[in-house]
Amino acid sequence: MSAETKAAPTKTPRPQEPGKARATIGAIVLVLLVIGGGYFSNADWSKFPDVFTEGWRYFYLMLKGIVQNPFSEPYSEYWTQAFNGMLESISMAWIGTMIGAAISIPMGFLAARNVSHPVVVQVTRVFLNIIRTLPELVFAIILLLPIFGFGPNAGALALGIGAVGTLGKLTAEALEGIDPGPVEAARAAGAPGSAILRWTYWSQVLPEVLAFWLYRFEINIRASAILGVIGAGGIGSVLSQAFRYREWDFIGILLLVIIVVTVIVDSISGAVRHRIIAGTAIKDKDIDTQPVGL
Amino acid sequence: MTVASAAPAPARPRKPAPSRVLIGGLVAVAAITAWAAWEIDFELTSLFENFSNGWVVVEQFLHPNWSYLGNAGTAWMETISIAIVASFFGVAVGLVFAYMASQVTNRSTKLYRVTKWFLSVLRSLPDIAYVLIFVALVGVGSLAGILALFIFNIGIAAKLTAETIDAVEPGPLEAADASGSGTFARARWAVQPQILPNFLSYALYIFELNIRSSVVIGYAGGGGIGQLIQVQFARFNYENVSAIVISMFVVVLIIDQVSQYLRRRLV
Repeated sequence: MSAETKAAPTKTPRPQEPGKARATIGAIVLVLLVIGGGYFSNADWSKFPDVFTEGWRYFYLMLKGIVQNPFSEPYSEYWTQAFNGMLESISMAWIGTMIGAAISIPMGFLAARNVSHPVVVQVTRVFLNIIRTLPELVFAIILLLPIFGFGPNAGALALGIGAVGTLGKLTAEALEGIDPGPVEAARAAGAPGSAILRWTYWSQVLPEVLAFWLYRFEINIRASAILGVIGAGGIGSVLSQAFRYREWDFIGILLLVIIVVTVIVDSISGAVRHRIIAGTAIKDKDIDTQPVGL
Repeated sequence: MTVASAAPAPARPRKPAPSRVLIGGLVAVAAITAWAAWEIDFELTSLFENFSNGWVVVEQFLHPNWSYLGNAGTAWMETISIAIVASFFGVAVGLVFAYMASQVTNRSTKLYRVTKWFLSVLRSLPDIAYVLIFVALVGVGSLAGILALFIFNIGIAAKLTAETIDAVEPGPLEAADASGSGTFARARWAVQPQILPNFLSYALYIFELNIRSSVVIGYAGGGGIGQLIQVQFARFNYENVSAIVISMFVVVLIIDQVSQYLRRRLV
């Protein structure tokens, strides 16, 4: 090795390393922010070791609940409650997605710059942004509980309203990205406005929009658990009750059911999504990084 | 007229019959919807019957008690601090898992499979489940919120980053392999420079998500603005809740704008 290097006729000087000042300043600011955050969050850091000491004990108790004979009392009751709760949560998520999807179609058209009048676009976008910013929980506690009472019905509606914001925005963006060729062709052939919207705009965005709906359904399953904690029924309600009474064996069963069912539903929905958008320009990842988070 | 006199026009092609997949899919969707609606006793009649009940609450919401916002300052500080700490550590650990969850950087198929499986389990639990677990472990307060979001963030950060790692340019990887670099050097010098802008942008996105989920976190006992909302809501102080919700709207909007500006500069 060294012989070879020496034999090289002219050695060009090694280029200077680019300055690291910016990266260093960035790192220092970040560390200061994190230390400040640790201090100002008023977190009781002295309790941190409990995670490890208590954690193992509770984990052991949860495991014990799972491995008990599921046909003996009270475990058969636990498993039934867990599965019923999960079914209710999934139903809530499904109905919520359906409501959100149905309302988001006209909203998407109204918010697309190449379809609607600029004023309408602006107004609709502001409306969609407001919905998008507020978490479902807020809709649930403000509007739905007083009207519908505690229950999965209110939860489904809250999920539906919450879904309108993101689905409407994504539909509008998909509409703005279409190929204008078919629109011109339909217009030249004298198609009425409704036919243009249906056969040129809607046909082009349908796969993408369907994929967004399915993705939203996956998110809504998780969100329905959150609504359950405030009393909207489903697995969330069962879970928060189990935590209130510290029934660790029951909690173990519930968490296992949530994990297994969610992974199964996710993989089915993911496979369908993948199949729908196969051959189009969009990728799974484009959908996953959309700001549709909880 | 002219059409009639022209050479016989080719017959209009027959409309293709709807495919079986489509019909099956529509039937399945209709069946699931009907069953789900039945399962949750779906109805909209309450909307008309009990609308006045809701209107009383909405009316209070329309008159927010601005003076209450003075009390919300500390809670906001807490929420933002929780989000900073949780997203910093969450994405840092998530990066390690991302390297393990991509076959580009992880040469052991077994470890890759185990990591993928572990991450999908991690992601399948909603954030509220983590809050409930950590509240049980360390008690009500910000620490439970930080820990819950930390675990939650690992799953998202690892998934998004692993997908970016899958798509890196193979050139630098080949160069690293040709020069005989080990697994770690390869990940650090051939992959990390390529994914860094995307990774930082995901980190900001996760920070935004954490701010958004602060209501949920606090509601379950994880500290911050959500806890304030829960307390005021339980006391039926809807005017105060309204003021907090509006402040939340403003804060989320500002953070979104700043983070979007930074993300545009990164990618």
